[in-house]
Amino acid sequence: MELNIYAYKCKRCGQLHYPYKTICKKCGDNDHNEFDIVALPKNGKLLTYTILYNPPSDFEVAALCLGIVELEGGMRITGQLDIKNPKTGMKVAGKVEVVRIDGYNKHLGMVFYQE
Amino acid sequence: MREVYVAGIGITSFSRLEYPLVEIAAYPALMALRDAGIKKVDQVYVANMGSGRINGQTGLASAVVDHLSLTPAAAETIENGPASGASAIKQGYMAIASGMYNTVMVIGAERMREVNPLEATDFVATLTHPLAEYIYGITLPSLAGMFARMYMDKYGVTSRHLAMVAVKNHKNALDNFYAHLHEDITIEGILDSPEASTNNPFVADPLRFYDVCPVSDGGACIILTTAENMKKLNKPMIKLAGIGQATDTHCVHERNDPTDLLAVREAARQSFAMAKIKPENVDVAELHDAFTILEIAESEEVGFFKKGEGHKALEKGLTKIGGKLPINPSGGLKAKGHPVGATGVGQAHEIVLQLRGGAAKRQVKNAKIGFTCNFGGFGNNVVCLTFIKEN
Ligand SMILES: [Zn+2]
Repeated sequence: MELNIYAYKCKRCGQLHYPYKTICKKCGDNDHNEFDIVALPKNGKLLTYTILYNPPSDFEVAALCLGIVELEGGMRITGQLDIKNPKTGMKVAGKVEVVRIDGYNKHLGMVFYQE
Repeated sequence: MREVYVAGIGITSFSRLEYPLVEIAAYPALMALRDAGIKKVDQVYVANMGSGRINGQTGLASAVVDHLSLTPAAAETIENGPASGASAIKQGYMAIASGMYNTVMVIGAERMREVNPLEATDFVATLTHPLAEYIYGITLPSLAGMFARMYMDKYGVTSRHLAMVAVKNHKNALDNFYAHLHEDITIEGILDSPEASTNNPFVADPLRFYDVCPVSDGGACIILTTAENMKKLNKPMIKLAGIGQATDTHCVHERNDPTDLLAVREAARQSFAMAKIKPENVDVAELHDAFTILEIAESEEVGFFKKGEGHKALEKGLTKIGGKLPINPSGGLKAKGHPVGATGVGQAHEIVLQLRGGAAKRQVKNAKIGFTCNFGGFGNNVVCLTFIKEN
């Protein structure tokens, strides 16, 4: 089964939200406050990134590459990058993987690779 | 609404303090009571972000009010991330302006060095979105690094400009006894020399060690009161004339243009409008330079300089003490230090000191109007204050 990260689409006006909200940011509809879940695309371009040295102690690595990706269709997501020499504007493709382990909890998130 | 004035101020060193959090709150409060020449207040607000998590102590304001023997005064702890300090000052303003209380003590206190710096950074990172940011290892330095890269690309800001902010603020801190870092750095030492990459390694590329504020303990206090009470106190008439606050999206990636700090823009606009002044009337400002890039970006968003021109103003020396608009004469978060929940009160302390003419070697000449920008989250909750000295 392919894992996805989901956006929340307002049933009234169609506005997409990632991450989810309880009230639509566009139409403010609080009568229905209903959303359809829609899988986010996985391909996009790298908007910005950083290489974080000495990341939080849950991460047993010397450095962590993090970025914001503009996905096809325009939604944006923050994620990890598994890319040697990241460059702003480069094309990337994401996979949903374990991104953080704290104790027994494994957190799933988007990891981007060079396309 | 009633007008609100500053009756007294106090501060601790911002550094590593080897005494309990309650005392970090109490010492500046004692100084402020003495400064104001009063013994009682109606209400105490304590701004703090981490006591429950870092120091294992909740209900901080109740502990502090008792420690100061100010019971039965009302007391509340205010937590609004790194903007807790200015938020607490805002609460103090409202309490007096509304007529509910006459004299309010606002304390900011934080003891972050009880844990190691990595734990402290992880604690502050819990401000970020739990599902869409935090799980990835996003910290405040990471958000600042990603922001800086976009900002530098878009506006032509370079590592040299960032280093210039650090050098300026470290210089200012040399004349501030209470500052965390008393270290005279140079562009040569942190950027140009062969040792620079060792002295100043990357923390969150493109940000380096000297682009990031230290993790500090510290406390500050400001006592607010009515115009009527001020007549009895014989203190300079420093009015809390303007307050603005605005929020922005929790996730940085959701902002239409992630290089815009809309909450800073809006909070500053409100603060100036309430004080009936314009940004160009400001004589001295304390901006929230937790990262050097933020001093540049905020100096534009609050309206001191056009968008994309803050780094040019910095190059021209306009933001140095002696320049047209000195920014962070205290040393800023960068060198004075950043005890998160206390920072906003510390900024107000510096501005009041400047407007009173009591800042000694780092005094900005003839300062009559001062401004603070206290930046919570990564710009998702910002409080701006305007202080005016009346004759
Ligand atoms: Zn909608």
